[in-house]
Amino acid sequence: MINRSLFPRGYLFTLFGIAVGVAGLLALGAMAERITRFIQGGDRFVLGQISVAGEGIGMGTGFTAGGLLPRFKIQEIARVPGVAAVQAQVMLPLNTTQSHFLTLTQELVLGLDLTVPTPNRHYGELPVRAGRFLRDGDRGAIVVGTDFAAARGLRVGGTLRLGEKDFSVVGVLDKTLTAPDRMAFVTIEDARGMWLQRDPMLGRAFGGGTGTLAPEDLNTGAAVAWQPGVKPDELANRIKATVSGINVTIPGELSRLLQTSTAFFSSLLLGIGSLGLLIGGLSLSNVVTAAMFERIRDFGIKRALGATDLQLLREVLGEALAVSIGGSGVGVVLAWVIGWGIERHVIHEGQQLFVFSSRLLLFALAFSLLLGMLAATYATLRITRISPAEAIRRGA
Amino acid sequence: MLVRGVGLGKSYRGVGGEPVPVLSGVDLEIKPGEFVAVIGPSGSGKSTLLNLLGLLEPADAGEVWFDDERVSHLSRRAQCRVRGTAIGFVFQSFLLIEELTALENVLLAARYVGRDRQAAGADAIALMERLDVAHRRGHYPSQLSGGEQQRVAFCRAVLNNPPLLLADEPTGNVDDQHAQVILAEIRGRVQARGTSVLLVTHRPEVSVQADRILRLGVGRMESG
Repeated sequence: MINRSLFPRGYLFTLFGIAVGVAGLLALGAMAERITRFIQGGDRFVLGQISVAGEGIGMGTGFTAGGLLPRFKIQEIARVPGVAAVQAQVMLPLNTTQSHFLTLTQELVLGLDLTVPTPNRHYGELPVRAGRFLRDGDRGAIVVGTDFAAARGLRVGGTLRLGEKDFSVVGVLDKTLTAPDRMAFVTIEDARGMWLQRDPMLGRAFGGGTGTLAPEDLNTGAAVAWQPGVKPDELANRIKATVSGINVTIPGELSRLLQTSTAFFSSLLLGIGSLGLLIGGLSLSNVVTAAMFERIRDFGIKRALGATDLQLLREVLGEALAVSIGGSGVGVVLAWVIGWGIERHVIHEGQQLFVFSSRLLLFALAFSLLLGMLAATYATLRITRISPAEAIRRGA
Repeated sequence: MLVRGVGLGKSYRGVGGEPVPVLSGVDLEIKPGEFVAVIGPSGSGKSTLLNLLGLLEPADAGEVWFDDERVSHLSRRAQCRVRGTAIGFVFQSFLLIEELTALENVLLAARYVGRDRQAAGADAIALMERLDVAHRRGHYPSQLSGGEQQRVAFCRAVLNNPPLLLADEPTGNVDDQHAQVILAEIRGRVQARGTSVLLVTHRPEVSVQADRILRLGVGRMESG
């Protein structure tokens, strides 16, 4: 026999009502959390290194706009006081037939000069989930971001064909929730080869033997690390003043620029969060209040038997707490299932839409408990204001 | 306990919002250990009179006194204490809580006055045995017949041995045999414990067992 004191009349409905509210709050919150992590990740990246490119309007793609950055310029930068290391890089769009405008997070191939340690202070070592990261001399090897791998079903030991070359997957990165999730990493030599294949004009310039350019000059940019105690913005300005013919990003300025350019997403985030709170909060408080008013007759009977307002409030808060915790638990599961279902559907696009962080779960739980308590208190105080006889009549 | 109602009046709001008088200027007195029956046609205000005396709703006019205490003017909290310790109600429609078993419903009376749960439990079972519903203690109200619910409601009303018992048609839904059991229980309480009883009934065979009969006309006491 079902113990009805554990599942009083209407409380199962209440529990599911709360679950729907919490699930809505969590799902919207998880999407907002996803956007936040992406923006924060980008910000951490730009603040972790000084990005440099050659003068001009750009070749390939990169963290900074600019043209080719030849080897001698990299050597000049390395001699600027305060510079700890300069890593030449080649960054290319994976798919050259797609416009940058068509995608928010473009899939990229990043070629790294692995003779130099990764200069970015915040992403010095990218977390590897399986296999290993690239080593110097790893020709034909590739490490892929988690979404990049998921979109293609790649695993360590697998093969990925880029252009006319097969790459052996030696590592899959762990989730970073920012740009590296959709990137592939190769040695700079392989990236240069890929670039030459893709750009016939560049190929003729390098292959014709008429110019003064060497393969080592084929860089889309460089990442600069600073020595301990050096202020990155000051060093960036010093590089700018010392080395001519390059584009230098000032980390602080770039961070501010990033914040400005992502203002839309921040607003969107605020909107999603507010909507989540509103929908979840209204649903939850409405359901709890309705459940209390539905039991108005029982309140009348208990007051007729001598229950004081405080005794009733204590009973109701206990019930509301139990039902809010239960509803929140079901809501978490429901939101997770919704998120899982949607991600399973769009995972082929290599995207993660939801981040159910512990802070979000804690917030949703605290929010639902607080709102449940408040709604229950409000309903109890309203009901105890009317006489027991009237409560019994209304609930009949 | 001496119970007195002085000049009691009550109106309800009609459909158009206008006041509809139900009771007007009703005076009554129930002596300690007195069994009083109230009779009268439907709509004469019998149940309302019980509600006012039992502090279930405030009177528009008049006062209710228990001995020398004017209980009708006590604070809400104090009225809760009086309801829990001094008054037992048997409602016409039983008013059992659906989510609680028969025994839990009976014990509800003890919960809010701070009685020891074990002692109250023993009393409740003894009472339910006398009223022949102990075998149904684990059942929910929806699983009980109307007569059984009536007897469970009666057990709840008298569990704390209140000095005043207000009963609205306590035998309305039980067969003659069980009606006699309830009436015997009431009589026993009046004689042995000095309980004051005000009982509303339509059944002449019930009212004749009372010490005194009050006849309520439309909103007014006609005799008593």
